[in-house]
Amino acid sequence: MKSVPKLIRRFVGILLFSSILLIILNIVLLVVFTMRQIPNAQPWKTAEEVVTALHQTEDGNYVLTDEMALELSEADVWGIFIDNDTKQVVWKTDNLPDTVPTTYTLSDIASLTRGYISDYPTFTGEAENGLVVLGYPKESFWKHMWSSWDYQLIANLPKTVLTVLIINVIVIFIIYVTANTKLLKSVKPITKGIQDLSVGEPVQIKESGLLSEISANINRTSDILQSQKYQLRKKETARANWIAGVSHDIRTPLSMVMGYAGQLKDDANLTSEERQKAEVIVRQSKRIQNLINDLNLASKLEYNMQPINPAKQNLIAIVRQVVVDFINMDIEDKYPIEWQTEEALTVCPVNADKNLLKRAVSNLIQNSINHNEQGCKIYVCVVTDDGNCTVVVADDGVGTTDEQIEKLNNAPHYMVCDNNTTEQRHGLGLLIVKQIVSAHGGTTVIEHSIYGGFVVKITLPINNCDG
Amino acid sequence: MDFEYLKNKRLLLVDDEQELLDMVVSILKEEGFNNIATAKTIKEALALADNFQPELAILDVMLPDGNGFSLMEQLKQKGEYPILFLTARGEDEDKFKGFGLGADDYVVKPFLPKELTFRIMAILRRSYKDENPLIKLQNSEIDFDRAEVIKGGEHIALTAKEHDILAVLYRNAGRIVTIDALCEAAWGENPFGYENSLMAHIRRIREKIELNPSRPVSLITVKGLGYKLIVGGK
Repeated sequence: MKSVPKLIRRFVGILLFSSILLIILNIVLLVVFTMRQIPNAQPWKTAEEVVTALHQTEDGNYVLTDEMALELSEADVWGIFIDNDTKQVVWKTDNLPDTVPTTYTLSDIASLTRGYISDYPTFTGEAENGLVVLGYPKESFWKHMWSSWDYQLIANLPKTVLTVLIINVIVIFIIYVTANTKLLKSVKPITKGIQDLSVGEPVQIKESGLLSEISANINRTSDILQSQKYQLRKKETARANWIAGVSHDIRTPLSMVMGYAGQLKDDANLTSEERQKAEVIVRQSKRIQNLINDLNLASKLEYNMQPINPAKQNLIAIVRQVVVDFINMDIEDKYPIEWQTEEALTVCPVNADKNLLKRAVSNLIQNSINHNEQGCKIYVCVVTDDGNCTVVVADDGVGTTDEQIEKLNNAPHYMVCDNNTTEQRHGLGLLIVKQIVSAHGGTTVIEHSIYGGFVVKITLPINNCDG
Repeated sequence: MDFEYLKNKRLLLVDDEQELLDMVVSILKEEGFNNIATAKTIKEALALADNFQPELAILDVMLPDGNGFSLMEQLKQKGEYPILFLTARGEDEDKFKGFGLGADDYVVKPFLPKELTFRIMAILRRSYKDENPLIKLQNSEIDFDRAEVIKGGEHIALTAKEHDILAVLYRNAGRIVTIDALCEAAWGENPFGYENSLMAHIRRIREKIELNPSRPVSLITVKGLGYKLIVGGK
């Protein structure tokens, strides 16, 4: 749920950014429009220019320069000159409308200065002994007739503007928060739902509010995932059960084969050749037995159906027991085992499932026996270094090729491989070792042995803490 | 090894497959057992148990009219004798269940004749003491009941630990017993770091049973692994 605060931070950021952007934009626009206002002072200037362009001739009449007259007539502007003393119009342009009076009182002048004559916006220019009045076409200018403000207003203008801006931002923020709280409220269960989906948990979100459609889709996705998971689990369980069932059913008939063959191989009434044949049957039955045991365990480990019960164990004791079991079984001494663990090393604590680890080590020894029918010497030792302990099972048997070792170390076994393999398959024994060791957080390495055969090293982390 | 008296013990064998019964009987007969009764169902087994009075029962777990675990409980009510399971169910949980209910051993099919007879002999040896309790070694005799060793007419007492260690070695006579298994027998579950004490005890046992303790002939060291007790006279 780290994403929701992040989301909020992001939204607030966007909000602040857009507010600031808006303010800047407003200022820019204001400046632009104000700039465009500047030419509007032009009529007042023109009036001033007319004042300077107006001359009194010797006979007392006023004359405007041709240039200025042309300019005024082009803009459709009329002009008059009111004498200071008589308040009479003493000069006028030719295009003066009839509605414009020729005599003015003081109040007329005050009003025309601020405003209009007969709806013509008027602009004045002061001359030495009179007033020039220019009349612009109707509706060409709008004049502010009462152009005065409270002084306080002007004095406090910056403060006022700032306050207004802040109020604006706050209002926008409140609108945003109320609008988004609802959104976030509906986003929250969705993000949680998606999070649960990603770890395979079943999800059921209330399908209401703004995002009900998304909730519904997440619920549907969860249902689909759960049913797929269930189907997959069912399939895996069925497969593991099937393997368990088959291996169970093989056991009883195989006991009969092994039992009678075992009797025949020791039957003194038979010739040695016949006894040897019986021994082959025993040996091969034993292989079938190992195979079904392995098959069952491998499928259970693969589908996580094998319970692993780790406890603090002495790895040396486990390996020693396996070795002794093999020595006790190997009556003919065809596969002598040499125990090479340093005598000073007596305890090597690991956190492990004793039975599974025993199985792994005995698989390694059995592997050496299976691959060396002529017999071989097997070397077993436990070594420790750097917080790890390693069980080394080596033999001086036939060994194998570099290519095969590479394959054993890296290629997936056919049981856990999803493409069809027709190539020569190696037994399940090593697969189980790898599965067990990796379930204990260890590693399995297969190499050429210094004794000429095959060596497998399994490394497990040492557990020094009690408990 | 002189365990002939054990071959006269009455064995009850229960399995629903006639052919398997026949085979096990033939294996046991060949080994010298001569007092064997068989049953194919729980009903038969219970009826038989009353008259036959078995001294060891060998049971399958899956039987047509119930499971072997419940049969074991019913048999145990009738009399105290060891029980061995012989079953195709090889799961650890099944084994634990069997042992938890008081089974003496658990053999998973398929098995070799030797394996089965060894396990049966081991159970019988543990459960039924010889009428003649003296265990003959090359240079001495052990009397487990009195916890003493008789060497050259002299009676030498065994300590409790020495007795426990020798008892485990004797039950596995002729086979290697690991250092760890011996420590467990003497000091209990998970005995970390008792190897030196064990060596001291072994030395003292040798002084008692061997003629020349530095050249042992009955209690043999298997270097790094464990010890082996060789039983039998000269």
